[in-house]
Amino acid sequence: MSNDVRIPEDLYEGDEDSVITAWLASDGARVKQGALIAEIMTAKVQHEMIAPASGILKILKQQDEVVTKGTVIGQIS
Amino acid sequence: MENERKLTIARAMAEAMAQEMRLDPTVFVMGEDIAQLGGVFGNTRGLADEFGTDRVRDTPISETGFISAAVGAAMDGMRPVVELMFVDFFGVCFDAIYNLMAKNIYFSGGNVRVPMVLMTSTGGGYSDAGQHSQCLYGSFAHLPGMKVVSPSNAYDAKGLMTAAIRDNSPVIYMFHKGLQGMGWLGTEAAANVHVPEDAYEVEIGKAAITREGTDVTIVSIAMGVHHALKAAKVLEAEGISAEVVDLRSLVPLDRDTVRASVRKTGRLIVVDEDYHSYGVSGEIIATVCEAGDITLKAAPRRIAYPDVPIPYARGMEQFCLPNPEKVAAAAREVCRTTVSA
Repeated sequence: MSNDVRIPEDLYEGDEDSVITAWLASDGARVKQGALIAEIMTAKVQHEMIAPASGILKILKQQDEVVTKGTVIGQIS
Repeated sequence: MENERKLTIARAMAEAMAQEMRLDPTVFVMGEDIAQLGGVFGNTRGLADEFGTDRVRDTPISETGFISAAVGAAMDGMRPVVELMFVDFFGVCFDAIYNLMAKNIYFSGGNVRVPMVLMTSTGGGYSDAGQHSQCLYGSFAHLPGMKVVSPSNAYDAKGLMTAAIRDNSPVIYMFHKGLQGMGWLGTEAAANVHVPEDAYEVEIGKAAITREGTDVTIVSIAMGVHHALKAAKVLEAEGISAEVVDLRSLVPLDRDTVRASVRKTGRLIVVDEDYHSYGVSGEIIATVCEAGDITLKAAPRRIAYPDVPIPYARGMEQFCLPNPEKVAAAAREVCRTTVSA
């Protein structure tokens, strides 16, 4: 079973694009539910992406890629 | 690894400060925009929420005032961590730094300590022009009385900050903006590494061999280490084995590690984002030449910033900055040439 790591609709106000400024876990690394795994920036403000489940992380969108709310940036299985 | 825990340098710095503040009530932080905003480079994020604005203080734009105040507080038993937002701003407050902070231990005959950290951002690459993009490593390392450190990754960033806060002498903690993990300042993913949660120290004055090699030694600090590592990877495919030394500290300078590496490889390249002349790069080359027992197979080289004010125009700034291509080109040259006996 795999869980999508999706940019939440309420991560930040507005609907503008954002950028993945850092992955804080590697592709293929084991992560724990609730752990901080990425930082997303919009308008020079950083927001935290939290692991929705425990398991092995697969990164689908790389650092510096432009993303929007609802984008699936990774999977945890 | 049960749970990989990478941090950006910004987070690693904040974590070290938070852990020391929990342990030691004399530790406090102040500077411009460091409390409510969490620092323009993210390195004090969350501190004001946890410790309140008595211990995490926003200051006015008055560097002479608040750095001098920190010197007094340190002499009176506190352990201030003070931020000079851009190292370029040192001009307005250098008397407080090098006549007070750096000298009061000596002037008191060792009767007072000055246990303070002055953290300051360095580096360019994101078109912020000549008053917000300098490194000035040599300017600070030149003057006695202050330790000077600069991390290239989050593990060292946390350990050096912890060591700096616990040190009884003043420490200049220089963090490169391009390594902070703050998107708009440029981003170096390799700076984000696994960081243990528990507090630990990285010894101030100890360099690290970041990559082992046999043909050429590339010595650098902060962002330059990443240029060196990228160059080393390219060179490896061409059959040149590069060793990368991350100085981590400029004062004290780990001359032994530099010399031992060059003794092995016989070739030296220094990568320094500070200005070319009268700086760290020249000091490293002198360190090797003065050893007396090192035979260089080629003349030493330095990839440093040209002696010009940093341009704003992107193309011009990028032309001036050190980069992996320049390092690799220099390595190819020194590995081809031989100094005649």
